[in-house]
Amino acid sequence: MVLLLMGCYSNNCPLENTVTCNYGFYDSQGTDITYADTITVTTLMPGYKTVYTYRKLGNTTVTKEEQDSALIHQGYTETISEQRNDTILVNKLFNASSMKIPMSYFHDEDTLVFSYQRISLKDTIKIQHTSYPNVELPECGTYRFHTLQSIKHTDAAIDHIEISEPKVNYDGATNIKIYFNGVVE
Amino acid sequence: MKHLQTYIISTALILAAILPLHAQEQQTEPVMPGETPKPTKYVAVEEAKEHLVFFQGFTLSADVYAPVAYMVSDYGAAEGALRLNLKNTFFPIIEAGYGKCSKEDFNTKVSYKVNAPYGRVGIDINMLKDKFQSNRLYLGARYGLCMFNYDIAGPAQTDPIWGGSEAFNMKGLSSTSHWAELVFGVEVRIFKNFHMGWSVRYKREISSTKNDRAKPNCIPGYGYTTNDICWGGTYSLIFDLNWGMKKSHKRGGNINLQDIPQKEVNQQETNDNDNGDGTEEGNDDEGQGDDEEDSEAESV
Repeated sequence: MVLLLMGCYSNNCPLENTVTCNYGFYDSQGTDITYADTITVTTLMPGYKTVYTYRKLGNTTVTKEEQDSALIHQGYTETISEQRNDTILVNKLFNASSMKIPMSYFHDEDTLVFSYQRISLKDTIKIQHTSYPNVELPECGTYRFHTLQSIKHTDAAIDHIEISEPKVNYDGATNIKIYFNGVVE
Repeated sequence: MKHLQTYIISTALILAAILPLHAQEQQTEPVMPGETPKPTKYVAVEEAKEHLVFFQGFTLSADVYAPVAYMVSDYGAAEGALRLNLKNTFFPIIEAGYGKCSKEDFNTKVSYKVNAPYGRVGIDINMLKDKFQSNRLYLGARYGLCMFNYDIAGPAQTDPIWGGSEAFNMKGLSSTSHWAELVFGVEVRIFKNFHMGWSVRYKREISSTKNDRAKPNCIPGYGYTTNDICWGGTYSLIFDLNWGMKKSHKRGGNINLQDIPQKEVNQQETNDNDNGDGTEEGNDDEGQGDDEEDSEAESV
């Protein structure tokens, strides 16, 4: 009897405890594919950062976000520049049919840059979305859910993109379908 | 604290299970071989059923389990009930209470608060064959409703990649919940019109208005929504209000022949004369169709 009463208190938290936007890869005809190229995804964040570049003849160029006086003493030439903030979200993804990318909590638009190994061109994707806090159970903690609104993209390697499930949560459904150029034979 | 709660609940349930058994033991005295059974008042059960008035009064009760639960856990309530007694068999009931839940998870520091009134309506059915005894064993059903506002607060949310932080504090989220309950209960007379009883309840949510931001974790009158179903219970102090009832028709009382219309008494006497063995039809299922009983009936 007591066990039955205590049954109401069992933990029922979701297995997936991170919220990510799920991408699926397809060819231009809609067939799901394993993309053979290597993909690196970076995101542009608002604001700029100061970058210190050190060059010396016959040596590899060194880039740092903090000044390094030791390199100057070694004969390196220092160049100071302002660059946009960016962060690598997916690094060298290879032979994948899907990927997961987090979304920003407090911005309306995320900008993602797709870099490929086989082609020098890059694709830029801009995702408009809203975000809101979510609690399933107090013991499970808090989450940030998102609702996709629209997507814009370039067409270096991407044929087209569609939103398949606008609600981004921990359910694991494919939210965005990316249709790459070409058709699988 | 949970161990203390478990101990109190289990002790109360065990005591509640033992009490009715003890009461039933006191009511039956075995007759030794060769010993003449003591003369007992014969109650013409079938006749009594016929003359059992439809409305048998009503009952007020208070649940003592829910307030104790609040003292030793995060959730509790103050609850009372008004119940009609129809032929000692059907008991339409209205339950009303004020539930309160206030909890904060130790690990996540997310807190949940709700205070709201709730109500239930339903019916209990006395499953005992003998409707005249003071104890009852019943099955019942309830429909519950609660309209409530709840608050959820927690640590500020911080974006680990893009940066930024926002306080997490949601107040006054509103919801309406409907649920159904199946009830199994026992009730025992302690003294005169004072009774005690316990019930076990299987609860299931029918519907709740959803909020994208937070699901209600605890519903007053229902309990925790961690799972689709929930178990609950009550331990009630019950007072029978038999206002306006004839003494013979009160619960547990015997029917006197004076209360039976004269026409039927005459008919009964005629039947007794016709049947030389004095066996009365219709009482076989009660196990009282002996000669002695008919002679007893004369002496009532």
